[in-house]
Amino acid sequence: MHDGKRARGMKGTARNLLIHLAVIAAAFVCVYPLLRMFSVSLRPGDKLFSADLSLIPAGASFRAYSDLLRDTMFLRWLWNSLVITTATSFMGVSLASTAAYAFSRFRFPGRRSGMLLLLASQMIPAGMLILPLFLMIMKMGLMNTYLGMIIAYSVSSLPFSIWILKGYYDTIPRSLEEAALVDGTSRVGAFWRVVLPLSTPALSIAFLFNFTAAWNEYLVARVVLFSAKQYTWTLGLFELQGQYITQWGMFAAGSMLVTLPVLAVFLYSSKWLISGLTLGGIKG
Amino acid sequence: MASVSFKDITKSFKDTPVLKGVSLDIEDHEFMVIVGPSGCGKTTLLRMLAGLEEVSSGEITIGGARVDGLPPSRREIAMVFQDYALYPHMTVEENMSFSLRLRKFPPAEIASRVAEAAGILQLGDLLKRMPRQLSGGQRQRVAIGRAIVRKPKVFLFDEPLSNLDAKLREEMRVEISKLYRRLNATILYVTHDQVEAMTLATRIAVMDRGVIQQVGAPMEVYRRPRNMFVAGFIGSPAMNLLPGRLSVSGGGVVFGNGSMELALPRGLLPEQEARDGREVVLGVRPENVAVESPAGDGLSDELKGELEARELLGHRENLYVKAGGTRLLAAMDRFFDRAPGSAVGLRLNYRDMHVFDKAGGLRLSA
Amino acid sequence: MPETLGSLGEVAWFVLLVAAGTAALEGYLYFHLRLFGRKWFLPVSLILFPALAVLACAPALGGQAAARLWPWFLAAEAAASAASRYLVKGRHYLPFMLLAPAFVGLALLLVYPFVFQAYLSFHDLKLSTVLMWKNTGRLPFAGITQYVKVFTTSPLSEVSFWALLVRTFVWTFTNVALHVAGGFVLALLLNNAIRFKGFYRTLLVVPWAMPQVVAVLAMRGEFHSQHGFINILLSRLADASPLLERLGVGPVQWLTDHPLLTCTLINVWLGIPFMMVVILGGLQSISSSYYDAAEIDGASYLQKLRYITIPLVKPVLMPAVTLGTVWTFNNINVIYLVTGQSGGTEQADILVSAIYKAAFTYNRYSYAAAFAMVVFAMLFAISAFYLRVFDAAKDER
Repeated sequence: MHDGKRARGMKGTARNLLIHLAVIAAAFVCVYPLLRMFSVSLRPGDKLFSADLSLIPAGASFRAYSDLLRDTMFLRWLWNSLVITTATSFMGVSLASTAAYAFSRFRFPGRRSGMLLLLASQMIPAGMLILPLFLMIMKMGLMNTYLGMIIAYSVSSLPFSIWILKGYYDTIPRSLEEAALVDGTSRVGAFWRVVLPLSTPALSIAFLFNFTAAWNEYLVARVVLFSAKQYTWTLGLFELQGQYITQWGMFAAGSMLVTLPVLAVFLYSSKWLISGLTLGGIKG
Repeated sequence: MASVSFKDITKSFKDTPVLKGVSLDIEDHEFMVIVGPSGCGKTTLLRMLAGLEEVSSGEITIGGARVDGLPPSRREIAMVFQDYALYPHMTVEENMSFSLRLRKFPPAEIASRVAEAAGILQLGDLLKRMPRQLSGGQRQRVAIGRAIVRKPKVFLFDEPLSNLDAKLREEMRVEISKLYRRLNATILYVTHDQVEAMTLATRIAVMDRGVIQQVGAPMEVYRRPRNMFVAGFIGSPAMNLLPGRLSVSGGGVVFGNGSMELALPRGLLPEQEARDGREVVLGVRPENVAVESPAGDGLSDELKGELEARELLGHRENLYVKAGGTRLLAAMDRFFDRAPGSAVGLRLNYRDMHVFDKAGGLRLSA
Repeated sequence: MPETLGSLGEVAWFVLLVAAGTAALEGYLYFHLRLFGRKWFLPVSLILFPALAVLACAPALGGQAAARLWPWFLAAEAAASAASRYLVKGRHYLPFMLLAPAFVGLALLLVYPFVFQAYLSFHDLKLSTVLMWKNTGRLPFAGITQYVKVFTTSPLSEVSFWALLVRTFVWTFTNVALHVAGGFVLALLLNNAIRFKGFYRTLLVVPWAMPQVVAVLAMRGEFHSQHGFINILLSRLADASPLLERLGVGPVQWLTDHPLLTCTLINVWLGIPFMMVVILGGLQSISSSYYDAAEIDGASYLQKLRYITIPLVKPVLMPAVTLGTVWTFNNINVIYLVTGQSGGTEQADILVSAIYKAAFTYNRYSYAAAFAMVVFAMLFAISAFYLRVFDAAKDER
C-alpha cells in the first residue's frame, strides 16, 4: 500500500500529509474536552482553577475520585439511573417486539394509519410532552419516585424501536415461520421460537437505543425528582458542576466514570447502532 | 399414509381469482406432481393443503377427514420448501427433531428417528452443523430429512429443486425418486419443470390459469394431451402447433393452412368432428417430424421446406425448417449435415399426430 | 443496602403490575376476538366485565362511587360485545392482540398527555391553582386567553414570542447548515485511502458517543470566562503577540455576553459526528467506477464533487438532514444545560426551551401548554408542507 502511494510522487505525499494534518486537528477538537476533563479530575484540590494546560497536572492524584465516591451520593445516583433505565428498556423492547411483528407480517385495517401515527409521534417534540407527563405523575402521587420516571420514559423510544424491529423482521423469510407452523407450532409459537431468536441483533440494538436514551435523559428527571437521594446521575452531575464551582474536580471525576463505560459500549456497538439509526432515519 | 382430495376449491386474492374450482384426488401412496407455468395457482393449491393459505370455498380432506380450517400443525403433513426454510439458529439435528420435540416425543424415539432419517439421506456427519455451513444440496437433504422424521400422512414438496444448479438437480431428482420407492408415501409435488413431472410422478396434474387441464399418468399425458395447452407444455422441445383449416372432400380429410396441404389419415379424427372448413390446430412432436425420409408406413406425403437454422446438441440435432409460411421444428437423433438455406423434405408421423379445436383448444383426434 | 433492595422491590412490583395489566388486556381481547361465537358469550361478557371494572375502580374511587359507574361500564361493554360479535367477528385477531399492549401504552403516555395538554391550554393552571387541581381535579376555564397571551406577552422575563421565533429559525438553520458542512468535509477527508482511518473515525465520533449531559457540561466548562480552555488560549495568544491583542483577541465573556453563539458552537461540536458518519456511509457506497468514468471524461476534483458525489449522497443525506432539523428545532438539552441555572440568561432560548422554562421555572403551566400547542401547530404545518414538497420531488424523478 505504501509503495503504491510513493509511485504517485511528491504531490500525492503532500496531499496525504495535509489530509492527515486536517483530520488530526479535527480529532483533537473532538477529543480535547474529554482529555481536559481527565486532567481536571486529577488536579490537586488547591490547583483546580490553574490555567495549566498539561494533560497530567503537577501533583496529580485520584483525590477527586475518592472524594466523589465518599462525600457524594454518586454511586446511589448511578444505581438509580441503572434501575430506571433497565426497567424502561425491558418494557420498551418487549412492547415493541410484538407490535413490530404485527406490522411486519400482517395486513389488517388500520395498519397504515398505525404506522403513520408512529411516524407522527416522532415529530412531536419530546420537550412538549414533559409538562402534561409531569402533571400526570404529580396527580398520581409518583413525584420523586422510580415509578414516575419509568412511566415517563417507557414509551418515548417505542416508535423508534418498532421501526427498527419491523425493518429487521421484514428481512426474515416468511417460509421459516411457515416451516415452523407445519412442524407444529402455533402462530405465536412460530414468533417465539423462530422469529425472536433470529432477531437478537435487532433486539439488542433496540435495547441499546432505549437504554442510552433513558440513561442520558435530563429534562424529565429535572422536574420529577427533587431529593438528592433519588437523583439520576445526570441530575447529580449537573448539581456538582452548577451550584458550587469548587466541586469542579469531583464533577470531572464523575463525568469520567460515567463516560468511559458509555464510550466503550458505544464504540463497541457503533456499527449496529449507526446502521440502525440510518435505517430508521431513511425509512422515517 | 392417506389419500388427499380437493373438492371444488376456489381462491381469490382481493378480487383476482387464482383458483377457479379445482378438484383433484390423490390416492394413497401416490406421487402426484402438479406442473404448470408460474402463476397458475399450483403453489397456492399446495399451501392450502398445508394450511398456510385459507380456501375461499371448497373442501380439502386428508384420509377422509376434512382439514380446511384446521391449523397446519393438526393436519399431519410435512413440507419441503423452495428455499428449504431451515431454522438458521438450530443445528441440523435440532432442525430435524424440532417437530418431534414440539409434540413431546420421548427423547429415545426422537434420537432413533433422526438417526434413521440421517442414515437414509447420508446426513450422519452433518448433524452438529449449522445450516449456514452446508452446501445447497446438503440443505436440500436436511429439509427432506426434517419432513421424513415426522412420518406424516402426506409429504408436500414446493419446487424443491429450483434453487439447485443443473447437475445437482438431476442428482436430487434421482434421490427423491429412490426415496419415494423406499417410503412408499403419499406425495404432492409442485414444479414448473415438466422434466421433473415426467420423471418423478405416478400421476401428473397439469395446471394453467387456476384450472386443472389434465390429470393422468405421465405417458398418458404425453401421448394424449387433452388440449392445446397440455400439448404445448409437456414435452421438450415443445410440440409443433400448426393452425389451419380442415377441408372434407369425399371420404378424405385434408388439413391446409395456405402454404401446405396435408391429407389426414382415416381414423385420426372421429367422423362427427371432421367438418368442412373447421378451424383446427395440428400438433406434431419434433421427434415425429422425419427429415429426408423415404415414404413409409404411417408417414405423410413429403412437404417441401427450407432449412433455416440448426442447433447441434451432441446427442441429437434440432432443425428449424420453414415450409411455406409455417415454421416446424424437427428433432433428429443423428447428425444432419446440411447448410442452412438448403432445401429439405419433411414427412410427419401420423401415429403421433394431434388435432385440436382452434376455438376451445380441446383435443379432437382420437 | 436495604434501601436499594426496597427500591428494587418497588420496580419489581411495578413490572408485575404491568404484566398483570397486559395479561388482563390480552385476556379481554381473546375473549372478544376468539370466543365471540359461543352461545354464552353475550351473557358472560355483560355480567363479568362491568363487574370487574367496578371492582377495579373501587379502591381508587370508593365502593359507592364505583358502583354508580356500573351503568356506564355496562353500556360500554354492550357496545364492545356487540361490535366484536356482529362486526369484527374475530378477523385479524392476532395482529390486534400483538399491537394492543404497545398501542395502549402509546395512548396512555403519548396521546393522552397530548390531549391533556390541549385541555390545559384552554384552562388556567398556574402555581396558585395547582393545589386546587390536585385535590379536586377542577380547573377554571380560560377560553382562548392563554393563546392570546402567547402572542401578546413575553414567555420569559426578557424575550417576546416573536424574538424567540426568529431566534429558533436562525438557530435551526445555522446549526443544521454547519452540521452538514462540517460533516461533509470530515467525511470527504476520511474517505481517502489514508492510514489510521478507523482510529481517526473513532476519535471523531467521541462527541456523539459521550453522554450528552457530560459533553455539554464539559464544553460549558471550557467556555468559562476564567477557567475555560478557550479563554486561557485566547489570553495566552494575546500575551504572546501584541499585534493580535490590538486586533481584539482576548478573553471573552462567552456565557453572559454571547450565550447563543456559545450554544451554537457547542451544538455544532456535538452534531457534526452524526452527519459525518451518515455521509461517510453514503460516500463509501458510491461505486468507484463513476469516478473512473469522470476521470476519463476529464472532470476536475470540484466537478466530480458537484456532479457525482453530491447527487449520489443526497438520498442518504436528505433523511439525515430532516432528522437533524427536527432534533435541532427541539433541542432543549444544550440550551437548558448551558443557560438553565437559576439566574441564567434568556438570550439563548429558543421556542422549546422557552416552553420548558415557562412551565418549570415560572410555573405558568397553562400558558406553557398553549405555547406548546402553538409550536406543535407550527411544526405540523412545516412538516406537512415539507412532506408535500418532498413527495412532489419524488414524483418528478
